[in-house]
Amino acid sequence: MITLHNISKSYSCFQAINSVSLSVGRGEIHGIIGASGAGKSTLLRVMNLLEKPDEGEVEINGQILTKLSRKDLRQARKSIGMIFQHFNLVANKTVSDNVAVSLELAKFPRKVRPSRVEECLQFVGLSNYMDKYPAQLSGGQKQRVAIARALANNPQVLLCDEPTSSLDPNTSGEILTVLQNINRSFGVTIVIVSHEMEVIKSICNRVTVMSEGQVYDTVSIQPKGIGMMNNSPKFFVDQLTKDGDVGHA
Amino acid sequence: MVGVSIAAAVLVGLPVGTLLFLCRKGQIFENRIIFSILNLLVNIIRSFPFLLLVVFLIPFTRMLIGTAIGTTAATVPLSIIAIAHYSRLVEQSLLDVPKGVMEAAIAMGASVRQVIFKFLYVEARSGLVLGLTTSIISFISYSTIMGVVGGGGIGDFAIRYGYQQFKTDLMMYMIIIMVILVQLIQFTGTTVSRMIDKR
Ligand SMILES: Nc1ncnc2c1ncn2[C@@H]1O[C@H](COP(=O)(O)OP(=O)(O)O)[C@@H](O)[C@H]1O
Ligand SMILES: [Mg+2]
Repeated sequence: MITLHNISKSYSCFQAINSVSLSVGRGEIHGIIGASGAGKSTLLRVMNLLEKPDEGEVEINGQILTKLSRKDLRQARKSIGMIFQHFNLVANKTVSDNVAVSLELAKFPRKVRPSRVEECLQFVGLSNYMDKYPAQLSGGQKQRVAIARALANNPQVLLCDEPTSSLDPNTSGEILTVLQNINRSFGVTIVIVSHEMEVIKSICNRVTVMSEGQVYDTVSIQPKGIGMMNNSPKFFVDQLTKDGDVGHA
Repeated sequence: MVGVSIAAAVLVGLPVGTLLFLCRKGQIFENRIIFSILNLLVNIIRSFPFLLLVVFLIPFTRMLIGTAIGTTAATVPLSIIAIAHYSRLVEQSLLDVPKGVMEAAIAMGASVRQVIFKFLYVEARSGLVLGLTTSIISFISYSTIMGVVGGGGIGDFAIRYGYQQFKTDLMMYMIIIMVILVQLIQFTGTTVSRMIDKR
């Protein structure tokens, strides 16, 4: 579904990505993990050419993106969804307008836009928040709006850059569940960049480990499932005192 | 006079300010040459003491309008300073838009035009309104100088009839009217910008 071929990218004299080749199969949930600064985000952003690689080829769904004209690239991007750590919603648009704008860009027929918006928001469990503004939502809700927006045009691929890294563990679990549902219900190929092992282990079938701009290894794993954290205060205390060597102050 | 300069600010200053922003380093139109030229031009116009700009532009105004005297002629330097003034404020409001919002737009396949109208301006709108408010108030202040080229206007009136004919009360009235006018404009601008700000 996604093939990167000998991708290199440098910023001034710093080599962020050094000749990386990678392939992601159709329907996969592919994780990319590595230390901070390893080049994970840069590699993900190369996939939809938000970063133009200095060298190499990007192929998605049979199209070689690096060879497309600007216009065709824009068209191709409409079936590549992307979500970000900081959500990147338009703060001055309502929840439903945030989703609607992606339909508008794709020239989705005007008449059926509202129903499609509602459908997407329903999928992420936010159909009661249509007229709210992002500032009135929690982090998890904002990310779900972003997912609904990315989903609206029936993308083949969903690129996720640290989608849960600014959320608490419980909310992270909810977001990961939504992503997994998208993968299962619509067969969307998902790439998730994260520095959190928990996140990667929970839903990915294949994982690429990156280090210093290069692929260290790619392994196939059995997803462990999304462990929902318990948010009760008792759970926190239990976790803290689990090793039995802590007394109550 | 002020009306024309406001129109110039919106119709020319807004695009120029947007271009300034988009040509900056790291932005979608990154272009050092265009940026440097526009930036320098805006700086130069804004650093002129306004009275000198008016005098300096006389030949240009005459070429454009046919005369450098009168209200119509006065709109030329006023519009030029209006464009320079507002484009800088536009650039600054656009800089406040989080980079991620534009990135999301590009990732969704938005064209440059769509990024500007469906994302940038939507997100920056309260800053754009506040900037225009500030600009309008400056234009009013600048317009009072236009008496020197026969531009007329409230400032000219206050000086000619109030100050020069020793009608201090007339001058005071004019000042009071100006103060009220400015307050009103600022109040309107602040209210509107707050109303459309959902961030
Ligand atoms: N726009 C940029 N300009 C300069 N350096 C950058 C830029 N983007 C990323 N880098 C550098 O490239 C390296 C990899 O960045 P990134 O892909 O964001 O890492 P990760 O997501 O793995 O933390 C980092 O050292 C970072 O400083
Ligand atoms: Mg990163």
